[in-house]
Amino acid sequence: MSIINYASKEIQFKIVYYGPALCGKTTNLAYIHSRINPDNRGDLVSLATAADRTLFFDFLPLNAVVIKGFRTKFQLYTVPGQVIYNATRQLVLRSVDGIVFVADSQWDKMAENIESFENLEENLRKQNISFDDIPYVLQYNKRDLPNIAPPNYMEFLLNNRKKRVQSFEVVSSTGQNVFAALNAVSQLLLHKFSKESDQARPSAAAAAPAAAAASGGNHRANLPSSGLALKR
Amino acid sequence: MDSIPVLTIEDVAHIDDVLQDYLQKSESDLAVIIDKGGNVISQSGDHEIMDVTIIAALAAGSFAATKELARRIGEVEFNALYHQGNGSHIFMNSVDEDTIMITVFGAQTTVGLVRFYSTGACQAMANVLKNLREKSNRGGHGFQFDASDVDATQIFGKA
Repeated sequence: MSIINYASKEIQFKIVYYGPALCGKTTNLAYIHSRINPDNRGDLVSLATAADRTLFFDFLPLNAVVIKGFRTKFQLYTVPGQVIYNATRQLVLRSVDGIVFVADSQWDKMAENIESFENLEENLRKQNISFDDIPYVLQYNKRDLPNIAPPNYMEFLLNNRKKRVQSFEVVSSTGQNVFAALNAVSQLLLHKFSKESDQARPSAAAAAPAAAAASGGNHRANLPSSGLALKR
Repeated sequence: MDSIPVLTIEDVAHIDDVLQDYLQKSESDLAVIIDKGGNVISQSGDHEIMDVTIIAALAAGSFAATKELARRIGEVEFNALYHQGNGSHIFMNSVDEDTIMITVFGAQTTVGLVRFYSTGACQAMANVLKNLREKSNRGGHGFQFDASDVDATQIFGKA
């Protein structure tokens, strides 16, 4: 949950990069870290194994735009993608304000993408959050590799809800569309935050419409629901 | 329990009063109040030498990571954790269900003194935070702006 501090004139937000193992979540953060002015970011903290697999989480604090004299601060986290670390993913999702779901575009990773997306939905549900409440965007990563699924197919699998969200074709290793996705989810959560200025809590979270999230994205395939896609 | 979405100048003053009193009595360097999601609520003391945001994220992770360990010996979670270094040490207490107090201290004091005064500070802090939550849940955060005015490409200034 965002925190606004009228004494220090700061607003804090938490964005989590979620997705299956080895989909490129840490690479996203490493690219963002390399491109942000050092004055506006902290260190990139990675709690990884000797084989560079994320064990706990990666963390990158960023100072961002000033709104009406208030400095916005974004805390970027990744979750460990490996299936066994679900307790850690639940911890990292605590107080989340926005999500970037990173999907691996390779054909043989589709089942893992779906499993991870369903796991995200389940973990959010445990915090009484639904996809209609929380700002999120989709990344179709590794678009530079051979044997990748077309964007429309990935839309069919992952973006086939009533309210479509923005999705981006990404190559996180080169940075292609990494900032486009980050900017998009940040703007969505700012929209949601601005609507909560005079709403009573906790009903605010439940009532806040996901209109911004439904405002469209790069891919808006109008494909029918099917047993192959996510269960709804 | 809810997080704390709004901190007014008055709220921060109340929190800082408790923290400064605690720092003085325990002779510690830094005290930070965080929620268990890793967000900094307030801080007091010498925080120029370290990135408090990162310490908060790691402390929240450290607290959560030991929860399973606590369960194995019949506890819900540990109320306090202590990390001992050569010159600097970290002591962490659970303030309430959703909040942790982190204390960083050096050779000028002892873990016993820090532990002793942290108990009272945590109780005082829990009362302050309880009032804050009740107040926050009655309305929105009150910060009005038009998000459409924020240029998405300018949210993060690149190098």
